[in-house]
Amino acid sequence: MDNQAQILPGTLDLLILKAVSLGPLHGYGVLLRIGQISRGALLVEQGALYPALYRLVRQGLLKARWGVSDNNRRAKFYELTAGGRKRLREEEDGWNRLAAAMGSALKARPEEV
Amino acid sequence: MSFLASFRTFVSSLFRRSEMEREMEEELRAHIEERAADLERTGMSKAEAERQARIEFGGYQRFKEECREVSGTHFLEALLQDLRFGLRMLRKSPGFTAAAILTLALGIGTNTAIFSYVDAWLIKPLPYPQAEKLMVFLSHDKKKGWTNHSVTSTADFLDFQHLNTSFAQTAAWAGWNFNLTGDGPPAFVEGGRVSWNYFETLGAKPILGRTFTAEEDKPGGGHVAVLGQGLWQSRFASDPRIVGRTIKIDDETYTVVGVMPGTFQFPLMGIANLWTPMALNDKETADRNSSWFSAFGRLKPGIAQTKAAAESEAIFARLEKEYPQTNTNVTSQVSSMIEEIGKNEGTTEVMICFWIVALILLIACANVANLMLVRATRRVKEFAVRRALGATRGRLTRQVLCESLLLFLFGGVAGTLFGAWGMNWIQSAIPDHVRGYLVNYGEVNLDFTTLGFTLGIALLCGLVFGLAPAFEGSRADLNTPLKESSGQASESGRGARLRKIFVGAEIALAVVVLICTTLLVRSFLISVRSSPGFNPANVTVAQLQLPKTRYRQEETMRNFTEQALERIRALPQVVSAGAASSVPFGGFGQVVLIAAVDKPVPKPEERRGARFTAASADYFSAMQIGLIKGRRFTSEDAPGNPPSAIINQTLARQMWPNEDPIGQKIQYGEQHNIATIVGIVTDIKMYQLRERPERQMYVSLTQFPSPKLGFVARTAGHSTKMETAIRDEIWAVDRDQPVSAVEPLDTLIMVTDAANRVLTKLMVFFGVIATFLGAIGIYGVMAHQVQQRTHEIGIRVALGASPVQVVRMVLGQGMKLTGIGVVVGIAAALGAARSLASLLYSVTPNDPETFTGVALVFGLVAAAAGYLPARRAMRVDPVVALRHE
Repeated sequence: MDNQAQILPGTLDLLILKAVSLGPLHGYGVLLRIGQISRGALLVEQGALYPALYRLVRQGLLKARWGVSDNNRRAKFYELTAGGRKRLREEEDGWNRLAAAMGSALKARPEEV
Repeated sequence: MSFLASFRTFVSSLFRRSEMEREMEEELRAHIEERAADLERTGMSKAEAERQARIEFGGYQRFKEECREVSGTHFLEALLQDLRFGLRMLRKSPGFTAAAILTLALGIGTNTAIFSYVDAWLIKPLPYPQAEKLMVFLSHDKKKGWTNHSVTSTADFLDFQHLNTSFAQTAAWAGWNFNLTGDGPPAFVEGGRVSWNYFETLGAKPILGRTFTAEEDKPGGGHVAVLGQGLWQSRFASDPRIVGRTIKIDDETYTVVGVMPGTFQFPLMGIANLWTPMALNDKETADRNSSWFSAFGRLKPGIAQTKAAAESEAIFARLEKEYPQTNTNVTSQVSSMIEEIGKNEGTTEVMICFWIVALILLIACANVANLMLVRATRRVKEFAVRRALGATRGRLTRQVLCESLLLFLFGGVAGTLFGAWGMNWIQSAIPDHVRGYLVNYGEVNLDFTTLGFTLGIALLCGLVFGLAPAFEGSRADLNTPLKESSGQASESGRGARLRKIFVGAEIALAVVVLICTTLLVRSFLISVRSSPGFNPANVTVAQLQLPKTRYRQEETMRNFTEQALERIRALPQVVSAGAASSVPFGGFGQVVLIAAVDKPVPKPEERRGARFTAASADYFSAMQIGLIKGRRFTSEDAPGNPPSAIINQTLARQMWPNEDPIGQKIQYGEQHNIATIVGIVTDIKMYQLRERPERQMYVSLTQFPSPKLGFVARTAGHSTKMETAIRDEIWAVDRDQPVSAVEPLDTLIMVTDAANRVLTKLMVFFGVIATFLGAIGIYGVMAHQVQQRTHEIGIRVALGASPVQVVRMVLGQGMKLTGIGVVVGIAAALGAARSLASLLYSVTPNDPETFTGVALVFGLVAAAAGYLPARRAMRVDPVVALRHE
C-alpha cells in the first residue's frame, strides 16, 4: 500500500470528472476507473465518492440515469454535462499549471536561487 | 403562486424526497454488492467478501447523510423542521413564551381594534357605487372665512344646477322630523325632505316600489313618501302592499311609493326612516337670501374635482356680479363627500388612536426583542454546541428568526382575540344618536382586511425585531462559551448595548404615549367638571315639535304650551317646570343676528349673532340658571306688552363692556324686533361640555310661542317614572302629539359627550398599557443585569461594598437609562402633542403639569421596577456568588 497516496482535498471532483469523461460510469465503476487511470496510485475512500457525486450532480456538472451494469445489476450511471466538460477543461488547465509550478519549484537547486 | 399550487409543489417535493432516499439506498447497496462480487472473484467466501466490501465502503450512514446534505434540503422542509424545533423551544420555556405572547397580544390587539375603525372609516369606500365621484357643496363666505354645509341660497343652487357642466346630477336634502299619526300611537320619525333624484344620485335602489319622480318634486306634488325598512317593519308590520297605501304625516295624507333597504344610509343626514319630496314652492325657488337645505352632486365621468370646483367658482362669481345685494363674497365650494363624512366620524380621533397604538406596538415589540436577546445570551452555549456540531451560521440565524416569527404569530392570534373584544367594546360605547352619522352605523367587523393587517404587522414585527436576537445568537463563538465551566456565558458588549438602546427607546415611546393620553384625559376631566351653567341633576327633558297643520296660530301654540306646563307642574314629584324653544344638549338651537339699538349700526361684516331661546317664566328657576342681575321673566311679559329680553354674561360683557345692560334695547332677528333687556343670567352650554362661552339671549315664550318645544321638569330626587308621566300629560293635552324623547338631562349630556368619553377611556387604557410595558422593560433589563453580574457583585461585597452601595449601583444604572429615555420622550412629546391641539380643552399641548407629572411617574415606575432586582443584588452572598463560578 506504500505506493498509494491519499488524494489531495479538492482533487476528488477533478478525478471523478475525468473518469466519467471517458464514458458513462456507475459509482463503483468510477472508483475502478480512477484506480485504473491512476495506475492504482490514488486511493479513494469508497463511501466518500458518493457525496462528491451528489454534489457534482447538484452543481449540474454531472447527470445521472439508471441503467444496467456489466453484472446485470440495476445501477445509476453518471455522465458529463456540457458544463461538466467545460469545468473539466478548466480544472485540467489549472491542475497542469499548478503541477508544473510545483514540479519546477521542487526541482530547484541552491545554485539556481 | 396560489396557495393550492404551492401546497402541491410541497407535497410532490416530499414525495420526490422519499424516492430519492430509496434510490440512494439502492445505489449504495449496489456499490457494495459489486465490490463484494469482485472480492468473491478473488477467492474470498461470500460472507467474507460482503464483510470486506462493507468495511471498505466506510461509514454508510455518514455518507448517506452527507449525500442528503449536498443534494440540498428543500426550503419548506427545513422551515417545517425549524418551526417544529421553535415550537419545542418555546414550550420548554413557558414563562418567557407567556410573557412575550401576552405583551404582543396587548400591542397587536390594540392595533387590530383601532385598525378596524381606520379601515371602515378611512380606507373602505362609502356604500355607494363610485362614491369618489360624489361631491358636497359648501357655502363659503370669502370675507369672513365661514363655511357651512347648506347651499348658499335656494335660487343660487337652482341656477348652479342649470348652469354647471361638471355634474351628471345634483340633488338636495334636508334632515326633517315628521309626526306620524294613525296606525298606532303618534310617533316622532326622523327623516328627510329630498329632491326627487336624491336616491338616484347616490345610486341607491328601493327594495319595494320606486323612489320619487320629477313631477312629485313640483309645488303641490309632494304628497308621496318613501319609507325606511326599519319603519316599514316596526310600524307597518312589513305590509307587502304598503306601496299605494296612505299614511298620515303631520296631519296630512301621503301615499307611500317605495321602501328603502335597511342598509341604505346617508351619514351626513343621520338616522332617517322617512323621506318626502322637497316640492319647493315658488317663493322658496326665488329665494336668493337663504335656504334650508344642503346639496351634493355626482361628477360626470372623467371630470376631476378641481375642474368642478373651478366651474363652481366661476358660476358663483357670475352670480355675485349679477346679484351684488345678496351674493357679495358668497361662493360655493366643492368638497368630496368621503371627506365630509370623515369629519363626522372623528377621523382625527381615530388617527390619533392609531398613532398611539402604533407606538404601543413598538414598545411591545422592543420588550419582546429584549426578552429574546436575553434568551439568546442564555443560549450562547447551546448555539456554540450546535455550531461545533456543524450547524452553519445562516441556519442558526434562520432558526432563531423562526422562533421569533412563531412567537409573533402566536402574539398575533392572541392579539386578534383581544382586538375583537376591544372592537366590540368600542362599538357598544358608541351612543345610538350618533350612529346615524357614522358609515355602517359605526359597526365594524373582523374582516379579511383587518385580519390581513394583523397578520401583516405580526409577521413584519417578528422579522424586524427578531433580526437582532437572531444575529446575536448566531454570532456564538465556538470556543469561549464551551470553555466556561458555568452556564453563565458572558454577554457580548454589543448585545448589552443593543438591549439598553431598546429599553431606552421603549421608555421614550412610553413617555410620549403617556403624555399624549394624559393631556386628552386631563382635558376631558376639566370639561366634565366644568359647570354647564345650570344644574342637570334630577331634571327630565321632553322635546317635541308642534305640526304646522294644527298649530298655525300663535294662540294655539301658546295654549298648548301653557296647558302642558300646568299639567306637568301638577305632577306630585315635580318641584318646578319650565319650557323653552330649545334646551341645552337637546341638539337643537337657533342663532339670530343682534345689535344694540343705542349703538351705531354695525357694518355688515361686524354684525354679531347670539344663541336665541324663547323661554317660559320659570324655565330659569327649573334649570337653576343663575340670575346675575335684573329679573327673570314674569307675568308682565305677556302678549301685548312690550317685549323683554334676558341676556347672558358674555353678551352683556361684549355689547355693553362698561355700561349697565339692564334697560338697554336690543334689536334681533330678520324682522329686526326690538326688546328691552330686563335681566342678565349666567352662560350656559348648549351643545358640548367643552364649548367656549357664546352670546346668548332669551325672550319670553309667552310673547313668542314656538312650535319647537322642550319641557324641563325638576324633581326632588331621582324619579324613574317621569318619562311616561310627562308623555301622558302631553298626550292628555293633544293625543296626536308625538314626543321625540323624554330623557333625564344628565343622560342627554352624557350622550353628547359619549365620543369624548370613549376616547378618554381608550386613552386611560393606552396610558396604562404603555406604562406597564415600559416598567416590564426596565425590570427585565435590570433583572438580567443583576444576574449577569452576580459574580462581580459578590466580589464587590467580599471586598467590603455595603448593601446600600450595591443597591445604588444597580438602581443608578436603571435610573440613568430611564432618565435618558424620559428626556428623549419629553422632547418627542413636545412635537407629537401639537397634533392633539384640536382635541384639547383648557389644556395646552405643552401643559407643564402633565409633562412634569409624567416624568415623575416614570421615575417612580422605574424605581419600583428596579427595586426587585436591586434587592436581589443586595442579598448576593459573596461566598455563594464566588463559588458559583
